[in-house]
Amino acid sequence: MKKFGYISYFFFTFQVLIANTIHVGKQYPMKSIHKAIEQSKDGDTIFVHQGLYREGNIVINKRIVFLGKEFPVLDAQRHGEVLSVKADSVVVKGFKIINSGFAALDDPCGIKVYNRTFVRIYNNRLDNNFFGIYLQNCNNCIVKGNTIVSHGTQEQLIGNGIHCWKSNNLQIIANTISGHRDGIYFEFVTNSVIWRNISTKNIRYGLHFMFSNDDSYITNLFKNNGAGVAVMFSKSVKMVNNTFEENWGDSAYGLLLKEIADGYIFNNKFIKNTSAIYMEGTSRIKVEKNDFVSNGWGMKIQASCMDNEVVSNNFLKNTFDISTNGSLVLNTFNSNYWDKYEGYDLDKNGVGDVPYHPLSLFAVLTEKNASTMLLYRSFMITLLDKSEKVLPSITPDNFIDKTPLMKSLPL
Amino acid sequence: MKKSVYLLFASLVLISCISGEPKSLQLNSDACDFCKMTIASGQFGAELITQKGRYYKFDDVACMIHFAKSNTIVPYKAFFVCDYLMSNTLVPVEKCYFLKGGIINSPMNGNAIAFTSKKEAERYQSKFNAAILSWEELYSSY
Repeated sequence: MKKFGYISYFFFTFQVLIANTIHVGKQYPMKSIHKAIEQSKDGDTIFVHQGLYREGNIVINKRIVFLGKEFPVLDAQRHGEVLSVKADSVVVKGFKIINSGFAALDDPCGIKVYNRTFVRIYNNRLDNNFFGIYLQNCNNCIVKGNTIVSHGTQEQLIGNGIHCWKSNNLQIIANTISGHRDGIYFEFVTNSVIWRNISTKNIRYGLHFMFSNDDSYITNLFKNNGAGVAVMFSKSVKMVNNTFEENWGDSAYGLLLKEIADGYIFNNKFIKNTSAIYMEGTSRIKVEKNDFVSNGWGMKIQASCMDNEVVSNNFLKNTFDISTNGSLVLNTFNSNYWDKYEGYDLDKNGVGDVPYHPLSLFAVLTEKNASTMLLYRSFMITLLDKSEKVLPSITPDNFIDKTPLMKSLPL
Repeated sequence: MKKSVYLLFASLVLISCISGEPKSLQLNSDACDFCKMTIASGQFGAELITQKGRYYKFDDVACMIHFAKSNTIVPYKAFFVCDYLMSNTLVPVEKCYFLKGGIINSPMNGNAIAFTSKKEAERYQSKFNAAILSWEELYSSY
């Protein structure tokens, strides 16, 4: 047994010894990355030293570790893709990747991975690319610690920061993305996690889900994006501990939910958005322990939503807490704290003794006719609102929180 | 004299009301009236005008067709789509040749694009491995 151990140890070290390290740089005999890849074998390490490398499209078609020392610059000079990964288990780490082609039909990228597994992309800086990192038909890949910046303007066509398509088991961790169309875009991606990313100032969405089931996004910051975050046509998406901040505009939402089911929205913060959550065609979603602070609308729940639960949330300083466009009530509200609640608690159990109607008359009116907003805070409207609270006529009378909290939840 | 000038003005104003010209899409600012997504690409966009002169904008031809089918009572006046090769230029659907399927990937998975030139449509047909359709065929395909 011991002998076998020695033999396998020997083989193991032998394996390590035959893997070469190829240095590329000004002070080394190897000057070109292309040549280095050509000469390498599976398992080798290519070590690229500081400098500017203008070698057009670099294709990694071997199972190698591709390392940059002090961020060597790969510049494609606005022609096509910068780095293409066409082998399994490749590691790309520590590069500065700039100037991919623009607005071409084949979507040029900073780094594109084609149909591969176990590729890892760590700590790169991408600047001024059309798409940033593109994973196409990939499994078990990790994208971690990258900084992705572009400088798109509103009128211009621009790609997404991290674009994932038809993939499985991805980990998107601790990336910083700004200035792209969508910060992170998922289409047909399953069983993946998006964790600790910062997505700001993107032209469209900070994060965008399409047809992607069983994913979660946890502890991300989405700030100042053109239209917030959108989760569409997906099932079982978990949204935990994220911050949605300052998504202002007519069609901007902190979180836009459309045609989704069985999700869980827990412990998020929605601060200063035009509409914090907009729901349409959404069913069986639980919204629990979230903070809605200083939004125009806390939640806009369209009549096409059903069986959603809104439980134990804080609604603070919103212009409207809830708004809806129909009279049918298929969603439940329980044990939330509403700062507009004017009830009392005689038995001192922390729960208000009279139910709260979160839907104000004026929210219903503005939903039907947006220009009535002009009359907001006028004397007549306040009077009508008060009388509506006592005798609901326009607002549905079963749209209530039966157990409103007297004190806000410490979230 | 003055009267006729006024009349001219009035008629001009009125004519501008009923003109069937499309309004161009404001990329990354207008939202699709069907799926609520912000319109980001001028290659797949679409627009329809009702007989009353209301405009509805869409990010995908599929959205426009679904929208049109979901509101069957509203009388529509005209349908427009963006030419794939001329970014963000709206053209009437009657003048277009459509490609659908293959490797075309549109924002809402309608996966259809429009061309005003038949030659270009045929060129891209083999490139994208897609099927050529007329507007009527495309309309009934969703």
